[in-house]
Amino acid sequence: MLKRMTRLVSGARQLDPGRLLHGGPQAPQSLAAHPDNQVPDGSPRAVSCTSEGDPARHGEQHEARHYCIPLQDLRTTFPHGLPPRFGMQVRTFNEACLMVRRPALELLHYLKNTNFAHPAVRYVLYGEKGTGKTLSLCHVIHFCAKQDWLILHIPDAHLWVKNCRDLLQSTYNKQRFDQPVEASSWLKNFKTANERFLSQIKVQEKYVWNKRESTEKGHPLGEVVEQGLTHVRNATDAVGIVLKELKSQSRLGAFRLLVAVDGVNALWGRTTLKREDKSPVAPEELALVHSLRKMVRNDWHGGAIVLTLSQTGSLFKPRKAYLPQELLGKEGFDALDPFIPILVSNYSPKEFESCIQYYLENSWLQHEKAHTEEGKKELLFLSNANPGQLERLCAYL
Amino acid sequence: MTHRFRTLRSLFPISRSGTPRAAFLGSSWPAKMAAPVGKAARGWSVLALGLRSVVPRLPGLTQVRWSRYGPEYRDPQIDKEYYRKPLAELTEEEKYEQELRKIQLIKAAPAAKTSSVFEDPVISKFTNMMMKGGNKVLARSLMTQTLEAVKRKQFEKYHAASAQEQATIERNPYTIFHQALKNCEPVIGLVPILRGGHFYQVPVPLPDRRRRFLAMKWMITECREKKHRRMLMPEKLSHELLEAFHNQGPVVKKKQDMHKMAEANRALAHYRWW
Repeated sequence: MLKRMTRLVSGARQLDPGRLLHGGPQAPQSLAAHPDNQVPDGSPRAVSCTSEGDPARHGEQHEARHYCIPLQDLRTTFPHGLPPRFGMQVRTFNEACLMVRRPALELLHYLKNTNFAHPAVRYVLYGEKGTGKTLSLCHVIHFCAKQDWLILHIPDAHLWVKNCRDLLQSTYNKQRFDQPVEASSWLKNFKTANERFLSQIKVQEKYVWNKRESTEKGHPLGEVVEQGLTHVRNATDAVGIVLKELKSQSRLGAFRLLVAVDGVNALWGRTTLKREDKSPVAPEELALVHSLRKMVRNDWHGGAIVLTLSQTGSLFKPRKAYLPQELLGKEGFDALDPFIPILVSNYSPKEFESCIQYYLENSWLQHEKAHTEEGKKELLFLSNANPGQLERLCAYL
Repeated sequence: MTHRFRTLRSLFPISRSGTPRAAFLGSSWPAKMAAPVGKAARGWSVLALGLRSVVPRLPGLTQVRWSRYGPEYRDPQIDKEYYRKPLAELTEEEKYEQELRKIQLIKAAPAAKTSSVFEDPVISKFTNMMMKGGNKVLARSLMTQTLEAVKRKQFEKYHAASAQEQATIERNPYTIFHQALKNCEPVIGLVPILRGGHFYQVPVPLPDRRRRFLAMKWMITECREKKHRRMLMPEKLSHELLEAFHNQGPVVKKKQDMHKMAEANRALAHYRWW
């Protein structure tokens, strides 16, 4: 039996010299100038990639094609970082390629036609695990960044309600708790993303930090952010002030505000944080969550709110739950109602084909059988066209 | 001592693979074919017992590898291509085999064996050896993470290399895995043989399966013992596999030490009688 197995092994593993050189034609493309310039139709990348780098011009004809975000833009648009597995893919391929999919196109269409005089519309991306909600949100954020909106991006709201080392009692309101670490890291990334707005926007009230320091009315918002960064104890209050100022000033029309929260169901769930007497902390007792809840209400105009539901980091929610009612609960649903739900589903056959083609072009699928029809059918069966599962499968093939 | 017992066992005409010879022997005793499954499943048929009585029962030696299946049981055919061949293309022998499968008893396929195109028996064997306490889920996930780590490291090297070097960098984790294990296989091994009250380490040629086993065993032991407490297995294993692929590293050194010991003890080679 083992002899038969060894014959199978030696038959399947013949080192093909062509395979070693397989990476050859791909090498100049990945090392050379970015595919932002025109890609000739004859090249293999034309099938799965498009050269259109501006999300504003993405339309039906770009559906199921990948477009590249330049690596310099990544640092300014996504200072918090991308989802971990996508981040690994960006580091491995030296390029950040997102697929243009229907939910994102729908959202972009709505955003292009927003009436900024009306209250901010809430869009909720929901779907099963691994279908691409977070990356659709990233696509929308990239579009808004290109259109010069002010981006308020909370990469994962679940991180604010769990695993928090130090909870301080808030100076502003004795009933609430401060989270200095989370607030200061968010302020740092907010500053990197929206550097140019911080000097333009002026504060409309006087804020007293302590006996010696205060921020006068009319000073730039950057001062508030600096104060929060240097004095970590005041970071949560700084975040609250930033959110309040942005909300009140967005109606003036100087800038357009995009509020993008990933995992918004964390704001209305339960937390795993405890006080010193081991009694649980409710989310509304956290100052950060309180200010974010106010931000997500549609009582302001001059922008849009794009939210994502996520079961992956959520607390005390069953694994199969993905619908808004299940994840948000009654309280959250009532707070967000009315919203526009956008379902993100698994890959369509065209998108699946495009994804496999993209992996083949980057030589990511190294297994010989992965190139065959049999292999592709098996990948489709094993992943059920779920983008997350497919990515994990192709990682080791 | 078990190798001696196994040699005697190999004298039996009953083979584990379902060759026509075994089937023929089985079918020459129709009474046994009709025997209830319980009786056949008990182990050895009368034929085997009959043959076993020919062999002198050696004291102190017991059967080491039982199988609940009798010799008339054939191995399952898992290969999808075998069943997809249209009737016209089959040779006489294959047609005979297919007819035989309708009446022969067939063993159950093991749970870990699939008809997937991505299946690799060496990887499965390695995963089983890495498994602890029956936790196949963990072992398999460690294996896939290792392959992914190997791939990512090679991609990193590829992107950092110049155009000429890129042709030499191998990015397929499976080729790297197989080549690394092949580089770790010893050609000759040492066996303790009792002579005159003392055990001597005698150099002996190893069968293929022993060599493969030793390579995998050394690799796993090395990765388990010689790593930092906080380092995870996939990271260490991917590092060791890449080193072994380039014929460096501690596992290849162990193989070379084994070769040197065998070379040093070559005077004792005449103690071997097989």
